[in-house]
Amino acid sequence: MSETQAMQLPLIYLLLAVFLCGTLWWLALWTLKTASHRHQEGQQERDWSVPLIDSAAGGDSLFHRWDVRFKLVALLGFAFLVVATRSPWSALLAMLLGLLAVRLARLPFARSLRRLLAMSGFLAMFLLIMPLTAVPHPGDFLLTFSGIDFLRFNLRGLSLALAIVGKACAVALLMEPLLATASLPRTVEGLTRLGVPEKVGQMILLAHRYIFVFLEEARRMATGMQVRGFQRRTSMQTLRVMGNYLGMLFVRSFERTHRVYDAMQARGYQGRFPAPAYFSVGKSDWLHTACWLLLGLLLLCFDRFWLGN
Amino acid sequence: MHISDGVLPISVALGSGVASLAIAAWSVKQTANEDLPKVAVVTASFFVSSLIHVPLGPTSVHLLIPGLVGVLLGPAAFLAILLGLLLQSLLFQFGGLTALGANALMMGIPALLCGLLFKRLRGDTQKQHVLVGGLAGGGGTLLAAALLALLLASGGEDFFGVMKLALLAHLPVFVVEGLVSAFTVSFLFRVKPELLAQQLGAAS
Repeated sequence: MSETQAMQLPLIYLLLAVFLCGTLWWLALWTLKTASHRHQEGQQERDWSVPLIDSAAGGDSLFHRWDVRFKLVALLGFAFLVVATRSPWSALLAMLLGLLAVRLARLPFARSLRRLLAMSGFLAMFLLIMPLTAVPHPGDFLLTFSGIDFLRFNLRGLSLALAIVGKACAVALLMEPLLATASLPRTVEGLTRLGVPEKVGQMILLAHRYIFVFLEEARRMATGMQVRGFQRRTSMQTLRVMGNYLGMLFVRSFERTHRVYDAMQARGYQGRFPAPAYFSVGKSDWLHTACWLLLGLLLLCFDRFWLGN
Repeated sequence: MHISDGVLPISVALGSGVASLAIAAWSVKQTANEDLPKVAVVTASFFVSSLIHVPLGPTSVHLLIPGLVGVLLGPAAFLAILLGLLLQSLLFQFGGLTALGANALMMGIPALLCGLLFKRLRGDTQKQHVLVGGLAGGGGTLLAAALLALLLASGGEDFFGVMKLALLAHLPVFVVEGLVSAFTVSFLFRVKPELLAQQLGAAS
């Protein structure tokens, strides 16, 4: 095949495909909304707009019992092997493995769904643009639709975009089993034992704490601005207010942190939180880790040799 | 805009990961122990500011502030941005685990450069502070957009369409970012000028 192939389809096919994608997206959004509503009815005072990282740390599953260091190495390694694949089919397989991981870790699917939706805007850009802008190569298959035949959809572009979407979803699905199955301090301790400087681990924990404090602060300031009649418009005035708002957020955060840090030092803080973390390595840790890495390697081999990419 | 997993070729993802690890190690070395809480503050503020939306015509854009982070932290800015991005991807799935290095380079290098620019040119008057602050804020975003385009283009000519769209989407953000940064710097100059000194130890 040296020439590009072309084919024309009725416009209705394209409309149907777009409609189907839109419906799926809306359905996911709706599911998430109802799920988080149900959550909120039970817990009045906690604000769930920022998801906690380690919400399900108390559970019990294969992933919960896995040593944190092994889990980090195995799933990070697996993620990189997944990203190295090229075909949409291997991306689909990786997605199924990700789903399996969520299932095995006995985690609620709603939180993984939230992660997928967070990426949907960025990924939709690829799905929309890539088929139209992929450069036609010999052997490519071009689709046109009656009525808009000046637009040529390159199927190779579509398959590239689908591979990207699949890989992104596969890695995103792994995030919940990786992070939610141990408390964050424990995960950070695992990172430190793997060679991340202790300073950095402390910073992750501190910054994670501050995020919630500052969000609260930002929200309170925004409420105050609203009460005083501030309206967001496209104007210089709005930008000036936002600039001052950001500046005030910095000033308040610095002052508050300074007080907190003084208090921490007064209580004997010397650069680390004394949190006893016990690590024990068993045969199952090695086995589980080897299993994931092997699966990743198999996937990559399947992608490169079987599909011939 | 954060790059998500699976977009970049594996060699670029790994290469930028190694590069950002090296710069982060340098950045950690530049940061004294007692400054860590303050770096954590800016990390958290960087995170929070990405949730602040500024209206722009019919839509709104959210702030990125790589430039401002550089202005506030100097050499420690890269560490703050790397950790902010890590937390963003852990909490919200903005960006991705395997693309973390690329995202950190995209935002962190502009932050370092803008910090340097601000330190060299800020002078003594409020006018000059505001001017250079705005320049750093806008320039940081522009540079980040350019790096994003470069990273996307590493995927080959099929990615050029997406690259152009991403560049276009950053143009309005660049203007908003520059103006907001200028106002923030002007506010800080009047209220707490020691925050702009980039000497974290002395700022307390």
